[in-house]
Amino acid sequence: MRTRFALPLLTLLLVAGPAAAQVKLLNVSYDPTRELYQDFNAAFARYWKAKSGQTVTVQQSHGGSGKQARSVIDGLEADVVTLALAYDVDAVANSGLIPKNWQTRLPNNSAPYTSTIVFLVRKGNPKKIRDWDDLTRPGVAVVTPNPKTSGGARWNYLAAWGYALRKFNNDPAKAQDFVKRIFKNVPVLDTGARGATVTFVERGIGDVLIAWENEALLSVKELGDKGEFQIVAPSLSILAEPPVAVVDKVAAKHKTVQVATAYLQYLYTPEGQEIAAKHYYRPRNKDVAAKYGQQFPKVTLFTIDEAFGGWTRAQKTHFADGGVFDQIYGAGL
Amino acid sequence: MKYVAAMTFLALLALPGAARAQEEPKPEPAPQTPQPPQTVEERLDELDQKIRVLDRKNELDKEAAAEKAKTAGQAAAGKDGFSLKSADGNFVLKLRGYTHFDGRFFQSDDQRPATDTFTLRRVRPILEGTVYKIFDFRIMPDFGGGQTVLQDAYLEARFNPAFRVRAGKFKPPVGLERLQSATEILFVERAFPTNLVPNRDLGIQLSGDVAGGIATWAVGVFNGVPDGGSADGDTNDDKDYAARIFFQPFVTGTGPFKNLGFGVAGSTGKQEGTVAAPNLPSFRTPGQQTFFSYRSDGTAPNTVIASGDRTRLSPQAYLYTGPFGLLAEYVTSKQAVRRGTVERDLENRAWQVAASWVLSGGEPTYRSVNPKRFFDPAAGTWGAFEIAARYHKQEIDEAAFPFFANLASSASEAEAWAVGFNWYFNRNLRLMFDYEDTSFTGGSNVSDGGDREDEKIFFSRFQIAF
Repeated sequence: MRTRFALPLLTLLLVAGPAAAQVKLLNVSYDPTRELYQDFNAAFARYWKAKSGQTVTVQQSHGGSGKQARSVIDGLEADVVTLALAYDVDAVANSGLIPKNWQTRLPNNSAPYTSTIVFLVRKGNPKKIRDWDDLTRPGVAVVTPNPKTSGGARWNYLAAWGYALRKFNNDPAKAQDFVKRIFKNVPVLDTGARGATVTFVERGIGDVLIAWENEALLSVKELGDKGEFQIVAPSLSILAEPPVAVVDKVAAKHKTVQVATAYLQYLYTPEGQEIAAKHYYRPRNKDVAAKYGQQFPKVTLFTIDEAFGGWTRAQKTHFADGGVFDQIYGAGL
Repeated sequence: MKYVAAMTFLALLALPGAARAQEEPKPEPAPQTPQPPQTVEERLDELDQKIRVLDRKNELDKEAAAEKAKTAGQAAAGKDGFSLKSADGNFVLKLRGYTHFDGRFFQSDDQRPATDTFTLRRVRPILEGTVYKIFDFRIMPDFGGGQTVLQDAYLEARFNPAFRVRAGKFKPPVGLERLQSATEILFVERAFPTNLVPNRDLGIQLSGDVAGGIATWAVGVFNGVPDGGSADGDTNDDKDYAARIFFQPFVTGTGPFKNLGFGVAGSTGKQEGTVAAPNLPSFRTPGQQTFFSYRSDGTAPNTVIASGDRTRLSPQAYLYTGPFGLLAEYVTSKQAVRRGTVERDLENRAWQVAASWVLSGGEPTYRSVNPKRFFDPAAGTWGAFEIAARYHKQEIDEAAFPFFANLASSASEAEAWAVGFNWYFNRNLRLMFDYEDTSFTGGSNVSDGGDREDEKIFFSRFQIAF
């Protein structure tokens, strides 16, 4: 009897042993995080191997944040999402894949790093771009993606709107006219932040790129030797808080809840924060923030809750079909 | 609420400790009118920007089109019909169909005059498709002969190549030639073995291809129909069980026996009849004339009815190699019958051997000839030509006569030989010409010699299938 079961059992162990030591995750993220998560995934794999003995392989998927959220809702089996804005994770939560209280499960509203919106201009700043007002000047070509498809573009738009509200004493009509004048200067509307960077940096179009701070710093670093670009920090910008979440139903199906949760928690560790900072994301950890403080321009920042009452309200007012952006961009620009 | 949020926002910005501003917001600049380019260099820069913008927009349009193509469905029209397909291929709808326009011309039909006629033998639109990747469906009515018959209506789930489940109305897995589509058969009409196997029946079938098609299996449970019959319901509680195993040992290779196949099929069940519905078959000649039927006059003492077990067995084989094709099958069908209080098991048999030779333009297969070059006189191509010959025979159990069948009106044997010529214009069009001579044992009054007059018939068929 013993020998009868010994061989199958041994075979099962030989097959199942290595399988159990292997685990795969899919991180569905937004456009400019490719390089960040390449480094982070390697670091986490080392950490997880040492901690659990498991070899973890993290696959990445990148695209416009809203589009990525839609893909997950439509069946792309992401174990975790790391998107550009909370509204997109809310959309995934509304589909039932993630609990509605997802923002409370990790520190800082589940946003382990932050960023902001700055300007990237050409060498010597020939159009003398210094603040948001300069983007409304006739003859200044502005590059920014489409807020209807790009999370980064929504941050750009709201940063300009917030500036205009302050400038015009909270007058929404004047703010709308201000933002409309900026978009009148946009010659090409890309669908994503990375596409807009390509338009400005590689295709040589425009005088100023409204960009994620990390994307702008990356462009300056990559082309730093040539000194072709420089960053201009506006006087006021928005605090962008890209959120992360485990996609519970998918992770449960893949039996990856534990490793997926550890993956996101690792973003908050000093090691994870350091990697984020190296890729020009503003870390939450004070020590790491102090260490990398020099690389980030000093900008007065406001939050979306302060200026717009949160993402849900901002989305409904500005980016829903027939919203303010449609009125601006559909008005014969 | 909006006002409170805005004021809070302004208040936060006004707090000295909260402000990290490097610069105060500047006064709004006066609107300026862009100055037109002054120098040649400025003009060139402006033109350069315009060209770059146009190029980039073109690039983005192409990216958007490529992205859209990934999610857009596809509509197609071609030799396989018309179809709509989702971008991921998981949903497909196909409109297909075929028509057989036949001519039948009887020769020397003095004793039993038959009408020479053109006829629409089959007019079959086919709606088939796939939903959710693995679920196929097919609906095929037939308007041939001015009547409407539902031939096929089934759903099939393809879990993997070795395991499929089909439910609905379709061909039970028994007869080799019956399992060929009507668009694929070698002659205008099928041979005698098809008289003894079920045509279409309602049931559930499990099937699959093993080892890349080296073995094909099918088992199913069906309502049960008389030999050669179709039905849309059952008349008793008993069911027929059918099974088939077929081998193509060299199908995965490229040698001369790649298209060698052989196997065995059969069915078993019980069939009960009534005087009103005897549930017994009658058998037809290639010219679609009835040459055998059981006694029936609407009264219980003189009407033969099905009365129990029915068993069919059919060894079968084919070989297609080079231009040569050969198909052979044997069927025996055993049925318990009753007339009045007399019961008997009767066993009828039929067999056929059919051979074909493709003269030019293609190679034969079990699934017909696929022309290599299509009919195009301007290009000097004429499609594919095929000649064919067959011999087939059906024998009625001797015990059927005279009590269960009348030898003066029903033949005890029918044997036939035929020659044919097929012209495949392309995959959709085919022209067929056959000559077939069928001779009989019995089936006529003694005063007329006892044997039914030979059926000599010339067939033509114009087939369009897509």
